[in-house]
Formats: sequence, structure tokens, C-alpha cells
Amino acid sequence: MTEGLLQQYSATIVFDTYEAIRQALHDPNLSRSFDKRSYAEGNIRDGVVSISHGSMQRARRRVENTQFRAERLQLYERELFPKVLDELLDILIDSEQVDVFPVGELLSVVLAARRAGLDADDRSLEQLRRLVHYVDVFSQGAAILDAKDPDAVRALVYETYDEFERRFVRPAWERRARLIEAERDGDPDAEPVPHDILTVLLRHREDPALELLDDGRVVREVATYLQGGTHTSAQTLTNALDLIFAEGDRAEAIIERLASDRAFAQRTVHETLRLRPTTPKMKRRAEADTEVAGVAIPKDALVILDGGRANRDPSRFGQEADRFDPDRVLDPSVPRWGLSFGAGPHQCPGRSVAAGFPAPAHGTDADDSHLFGLIALMLQAVARRGVRPDPDRQPERDTRTERDTRWAHYPVRFERWAPVSAGSPSR
Amino acid sequence: MAANVSIDPDLCIGAGECVRVAPLAFQIDEDLGVSVPLDPADELDQATLEQIAANCPTGAIQVLIAGVDGRTGGVR
Repeated sequence: MTEGLLQQYSATIVFDTYEAIRQALHDPNLSRSFDKRSYAEGNIRDGVVSISHGSMQRARRRVENTQFRAERLQLYERELFPKVLDELLDILIDSEQVDVFPVGELLSVVLAARRAGLDADDRSLEQLRRLVHYVDVFSQGAAILDAKDPDAVRALVYETYDEFERRFVRPAWERRARLIEAERDGDPDAEPVPHDILTVLLRHREDPALELLDDGRVVREVATYLQGGTHTSAQTLTNALDLIFAEGDRAEAIIERLASDRAFAQRTVHETLRLRPTTPKMKRRAEADTEVAGVAIPKDALVILDGGRANRDPSRFGQEADRFDPDRVLDPSVPRWGLSFGAGPHQCPGRSVAAGFPAPAHGTDADDSHLFGLIALMLQAVARRGVRPDPDRQPERDTRTERDTRWAHYPVRFERWAPVSAGSPSR
Repeated sequence: MAANVSIDPDLCIGAGECVRVAPLAFQIDEDLGVSVPLDPADELDQATLEQIAANCPTGAIQVLIAGVDGRTGGVR
């Protein structure tokens, strides 16, 4: 399969400063489908919005962005997630010693599945664990160009799409199709149509601008949102704890502050995203000759955007940019998370779900419409349960990828953990 | 200093960054899935308009001030 990969580029150009990368991310001549031949027939992510380019990508984002409006995010953050968070944590933190990485995955996948449009049972850990398994596979697929064995990843992703479609997407698709039809017929007794990605794709599927008539594209698009909505949140929760524990004697005070100060929890998440981006290096392909930050880029060049380094650019983040400091003072025009959610037309659509709205400056109160983001809620919840490093067990990085910001296991201890109560979700 | 703010509906993806920064000056047309400027947009100060245009993910926001092309939302 790898013979179709475009191995040769007209040039390879690397940017590692904040402003240059920001310009590059906004340049319409730089495409995320950086290697068209590898994204042709048989590609595991063929046609998904995150690697598409031009008018189709914009049309797709227009309908999908409707699921990320402020009022919908407020519903997630203020009503749905707090309930799920407490219920699941009571189950998952069932002893003093816990691996916190899968806890983050299970918490994140509940809302990611709902937003993607899958009718998973929030109370079935078996279903949630299966969805997390899919996320793990799709995440390997998303990072296939950094994979150590890309052919094995490709085969695994194909196999997983089949099961994902059969078990979760098809039932949700059929239910939504019935509900949309009943709504169009004006059936007064019809159940309301859910608000989610699958629903909007089905509602707009006939629009040729979206290029969604192939069923496989719909399945892959839903998978993309499930994966994107779970993976970064779980990894960032774990990276936040890793950075806090690295503070040594200060860690306990930071955790106590997190427990009582949600705005600080949000700034901690943003600082974590800056220092530990899920995708440290973004890649683009030049669709045409262009210029970024005074550098001429020829057509078919590979452009590597080192966001990990740009997020430590002293001109934007200060002379101590390498230091973990959630209270750092920044120019308001610079996002505290740096470039970790990208920018430009491929800017992560779920940024406000995960990280909330830009955090108010230290010492400034958030207004009523402010959102802190789901990762901050998760971080605060584990802080309130007294999370501590586990001195007996070492964390393990995900060695299947070259990306060093990804974890596989992260054992911790909890000073306060609740036993399973009656009526809790099944294990 | 009044500005003239417009949004290219072909480029806009309805991300709503402009609405978040200036909710009284922009709104999303949910039928089209794109942002549209409201009358107060023309009265925003230049710094705010530049920030909004610069943050637009697709460079869809065009700001004209006193006859000078103030488009800062990215290269088309």
C-alpha cells in the first residue's frame, strides 16, 4: 500500500516560529491533504473533513460547525457532562491505585459519541470501552505517517471501521433517518431529531457541495469526530497531571488550588496544551507556489510546521516559555494554548468543547457566558479526589508513535476515592 | 471612525469566532451556516476589528476603513 505514497517533494520547508506557522496555517495554498496520492483510493481517511481542502471542506465545516454553537456547548458543560463525570468517576476510581489515562478516555468518549451521533449507552462500560478501542485505532490511523508500522495500522483501521459501522453507526443512522423523515412529514408524535454530526450529515447529504453520497465517507466523518473528541482530551488530562507532578514539592498545592479554582484549572489545561500539543508537528503540502513569512514555497513542497517549538517561542510566551506556569501573563492576542488547536480553515472544531473559551486573565472573573472546557472539569474532578503520583508504578508512553506527547498508561493514587454505590453503571 | 465590514459567504465556515468576540456586531445565519455582520460592526474600534479579522479562520472578514483596504484576515 505504501507504494502510492508521494515520497518526493519539490522541497521540504520547516517553520518553527509562532508567527510564521500562524501565517502558514491561514495560507489557502497550503493543503492538509499534503499528499494527494496517498489520500486517494484506499486511504483510511479518504474524504474526511480534516484532510479535505477548498470549497468542499468549507461546505462541510459550515454544517458541522452548527454542533459547536455556544448554547450547545453550554448544555454539554453545565448539564450533561457534570452528571456523567461524577457517575463515571465513582465507578472508575474504585481503589486507591488507578490508571488515569483510560479514565480520561472513558470520560471523554461519552460526550464525543453523543456529539458524533452514536446512540451508545452511557451506563454501559462495555460499550464505552469498545468506543475507546475504536478511538485508539483511529488515532493510530490519524497519525499513520508517524507510525512505526503503517501497513499494520492501515489493516487494523479498515477492520475497525467495519465493526464500528455495523455496531454503532448503522443503528444510529437508521434511527436518525426515520426521525428526519417523520419530522419532514410533520408527525406531531415523532421523537425529536437529535442534534449531532451524523444528523446534520444526513440532513444535508444531498447537497453536492458536501460530497457525501458515498456511505463510507459518512462513517469516516463520524469516526473522525469520535476520535478527535476523545483523544486530545484524554491525552491532555494525563499530560496536565504529568506536568503538575513534575513540579515536585509544589504539586500538592497546585492540586489543591485546582480543586477550588476552575479558572486556574482552565489555565492549567491551556498551559498543558501549549507545552504538550497532541500533534507537535503539523504538515502541509503546497498546492501552488506561495510565500510564508518571506520564504518562497514551491508547488508540491512539504511544509512542516513545528507547533511544539512555536508554542515555546519567547517572542510570544516570554523568556521562560519552557516553564510550566498556568499563571503566565500573555498578550491577549496570543492564545494560551499556542497553536495546539491549529488555526485557519482546519482549526480544531472542538476546541471550545475541550478547552472552553479563551481564559480570562489571572485575577479577572469569568462572565456568565464563559465556558471552561471539559478537560478543565475533568482535571478539577480528579484533583478533588486527591490525585497523587503513584510511587510504585511508572507511567508508560505510547510507543507505537513517534509523538512523545502520547501516553498509554498513567498510574496514580487517589487520597479520596468513593466505593461503588447501588444503581451505578454496569461494569 | 466608521468602518465598512463585510464577510465573504463563500469563504466563511461559520466558526463563530467573530460572534464570540463581538456578539452584538455579528451573528450566524443558521440557514446558510455563515456569519453576517450587523450594523454595530461598523462602529467597532479599529483594534477590535483587526483582531476579529485576524482571528477569522478563513480570512473571510473584510474591513475597509477610510478607503484603505484593511483586510487582515489572511491571504485569499
